[in-house]
Amino acid sequence: MMKTISDTIPPRLELRAVSKRYANGTLASDDVSLSVRRGDIHALVGENGAGKSTVMKMLYGLEQPSAGTILLDGAPLALRAPADAIAAGIGLVPQHLQLVPSFTVAQNVVLGGEPARFGILDRRAAIEKVGELSRRFGLEVDPSAPVAGLSLGERQRVEILKTLYRGAGIILLDEPTAVLTPSEAQALFAALRSLTGQGVTVLLITHKLSEVLEVSDRFTVLRAGRVTGQADAAAVTAAQLTEMIVGRPLAPLQVARSIARGRAALVSARGIGVAGPDGAARLQDICFDIAAGEILGIAAVEGNGQGLLADVLAGLRPSDRGGATVDGQAVTGVGVRAARAAGVGAIPEDRLHNGVAADMSIADNAIAGAYHRRPLSRFGWLNPAAAQAMASRLIERFGVAARGPYQIIGSLSGGNMQKVVMGREIDGAPRFMIASQPTRGVDLGAAQALRRSLVELRDGGAAVLLISSDLDEVLELSDRIAVLVQGRIVGHFNGGADAAAIGARMTGGHQPGTSATLDAPFTGEAAA
Amino acid sequence: MMAQTQEASSHARRLKAAVGAALLAGLLITALVSQEPLRAYLILLTGALPEIGWSAEQGWQLHRMVRFGTVIEDAVTLTFLGLAVALPFRARQFSLGADGQMFLAALAAAATSLFWLRTGAPAWMLLPAAACAAIMTGFAWGLLPGLLKLRCGANEMVTSLMLNLIAVQFYRLAVADWMADPSAGYQVTPLLPEPAVFSTLLEHTNVTTLLFAVPLAVAAAALLLKRTTLGYEIRVTGSAPAFALQAGLPVGRAMVLSIAAGGAFAALAGLHISNGLLKRLPVDLNPGLGYDGLLVALLARNEPRAIPWAALFYAYLRTGAQAMERGTDVSRETVLVIQALIILFVVADRLLPARWTGSRT
Repeated sequence: MMKTISDTIPPRLELRAVSKRYANGTLASDDVSLSVRRGDIHALVGENGAGKSTVMKMLYGLEQPSAGTILLDGAPLALRAPADAIAAGIGLVPQHLQLVPSFTVAQNVVLGGEPARFGILDRRAAIEKVGELSRRFGLEVDPSAPVAGLSLGERQRVEILKTLYRGAGIILLDEPTAVLTPSEAQALFAALRSLTGQGVTVLLITHKLSEVLEVSDRFTVLRAGRVTGQADAAAVTAAQLTEMIVGRPLAPLQVARSIARGRAALVSARGIGVAGPDGAARLQDICFDIAAGEILGIAAVEGNGQGLLADVLAGLRPSDRGGATVDGQAVTGVGVRAARAAGVGAIPEDRLHNGVAADMSIADNAIAGAYHRRPLSRFGWLNPAAAQAMASRLIERFGVAARGPYQIIGSLSGGNMQKVVMGREIDGAPRFMIASQPTRGVDLGAAQALRRSLVELRDGGAAVLLISSDLDEVLELSDRIAVLVQGRIVGHFNGGADAAAIGARMTGGHQPGTSATLDAPFTGEAAA
Repeated sequence: MMAQTQEASSHARRLKAAVGAALLAGLLITALVSQEPLRAYLILLTGALPEIGWSAEQGWQLHRMVRFGTVIEDAVTLTFLGLAVALPFRARQFSLGADGQMFLAALAAAATSLFWLRTGAPAWMLLPAAACAAIMTGFAWGLLPGLLKLRCGANEMVTSLMLNLIAVQFYRLAVADWMADPSAGYQVTPLLPEPAVFSTLLEHTNVTTLLFAVPLAVAAAALLLKRTTLGYEIRVTGSAPAFALQAGLPVGRAMVLSIAAGGAFAALAGLHISNGLLKRLPVDLNPGLGYDGLLVALLARNEPRAIPWAALFYAYLRTGAQAMERGTDVSRETVLVIQALIILFVVADRLLPARWTGSRT
């Protein structure tokens, strides 16, 4: 999209040499300058901890800059509180949506600025106003529907409507696609396009390269609080952008696919079913095989039963029906320790919750899977030298940036922590690895190292189940892909399948009888 | 390692600041209620120390050894009780059962001591037997809250408190009805026989050879936590329960055994009371010492090696407070307020503004 804005018109929003130093001394923003043109989608990119959120908080009045100025249409702006930002026409769509579920869409949108007649909420006016807004900006949603029944994509539209209702001319979106299906994300970007067509300016905070390259007009890269790049999105390649974000070139990971058709299954799951507390099925008739040296990817949007599936397979909770075997040995319903003894390794999806003990040392965390066996323990006594050796080995082998085996693991970055978690599991030489969201919240460099480790594990003959809500990751690593929707497998694809086809299946309805066994047909092939 | 030492030194700074602030607050309150606040306050702070006096006839002499003995005696009891609370806390089990475990263990030790010689068993084995009986009783009683939690999902705080009531009432029943000495003027067991009593170390005090068990108990608790697989399971369970489950640790066993192991340490406190301090058990032995053990564990942040020092600090403060109550115009209630304030400050040192301690967080 070409813009013809002469230099005499000031940018819609500008940061001039803005720095933010927190009370504890952390310099979160260091001399950040960026300018956003009217009607642009401007991406603010960077890894976790690069300072994106700090910039956003300063723009929304949640934090105040220690130095520098924020300008709106060329005039300096003091943002002491979110109310100032709203008054200046800046709206925020937070990452975790904040709507009242029991209210209707219209009630949520007008909340805080209700149209009133004689002091009483004018419901009809509210519905009319919201309906009009929604039509004008192409954000389709039924104003009288209760929010509780909406999908996450629809809720996000409600949040955007809310900022527009309050008169926002600039909308800040914080990682808006984290919770969306691919098609919902496409719909969101189409809606953003129609907004910018009507003069609204969008600042999109993201860490996904594709959102920068395909959706944005311009972008600004932050690294360690400083601006490391600023350009038109059309003018750079993915490799150049990666280098700006990471600070060094990152050779792409070349994964050769392994074809397991006709081979024997190492891991085989049949008919796994789990009912929720209300009796409704949360997992239903899950069937899949994984051969030795194969990665089966599970493509699923958050909350479709993939966490539960990982727990069942790791032995953390029993299934109500069906089960899984590794090399003929049952691993479900026998408890974690027995499952591990049978060769199961698991990387949990939320590492701070159950991947590590955050206030204990790297050594204490490294030995968690093997502490009860020699050489780590003898007759109930721990061997500290062996624990230290093991931690040092993991640090060395997986390139963990740490001061030593006794550093508290919670003080490591997410990527380094995850390297310890994955290293611990790989060190146990698992034959079946369950990797849930293995690179979530991890910076690009570390993510690549972690993915490479998984592929090496596969090449060493292990069966890997990769569960990720990052479809790109599933596509990059998987030899076969199963699509999970509402606790059922609804699609089975070859590793090289088309992202659009998989994405369509992720939002589509139930396909009865789909399984991901080694001889099951791929979706779309069945008819042929 | 660096992070740990940094944290430790910042913790030490905070502790100093907290104690200083607490002492100041105590002085202010004393000034409000006393005619001679400085002297009264000095007694609170130094009353627990022995007095060095000199006289022509006897040369240098230590006075007030009874009072100083009380400090040591209390510190010994409180160390055991502090360990008893700290072990379950490390597994994030809020067991408040130290009192009951201690009462039953004292009873077991006294009963063994009274009946051992009648069976004709050798006298030299009496003390080890009494200690064994006490420890096994404390451990067994300590198993109950954990098992109830594991099998029935009962909250360990509630069950351990209720078990305390049962234990204390059973103790009273046993002392009054089954073990009472008819020749004593009040309800009390007969004096324990000579071989059942720990020998005295300091004259005029009840500081006994059980003092030597303190470093052993502390080392045992520290080793248990740091160097055994059970201790590892306890620490991981306490630090991150979900992670412990995910890693396949026997979380239930760690919970149960942490409370039971605490019971074994509470039993040492019971043994100290029956076979060291009192040498017989009165029916009106005051419950509540277990909660002082809780305070000691809190002061020491559940770190076994810090517990004897916390216990000594607490015992010192308590004895000083008694001296202040007796020797000045400050009332008992005020003394308790000051004492509570000091503990409050020390326990709440995290609440101090950062600039007091020069620390950023």
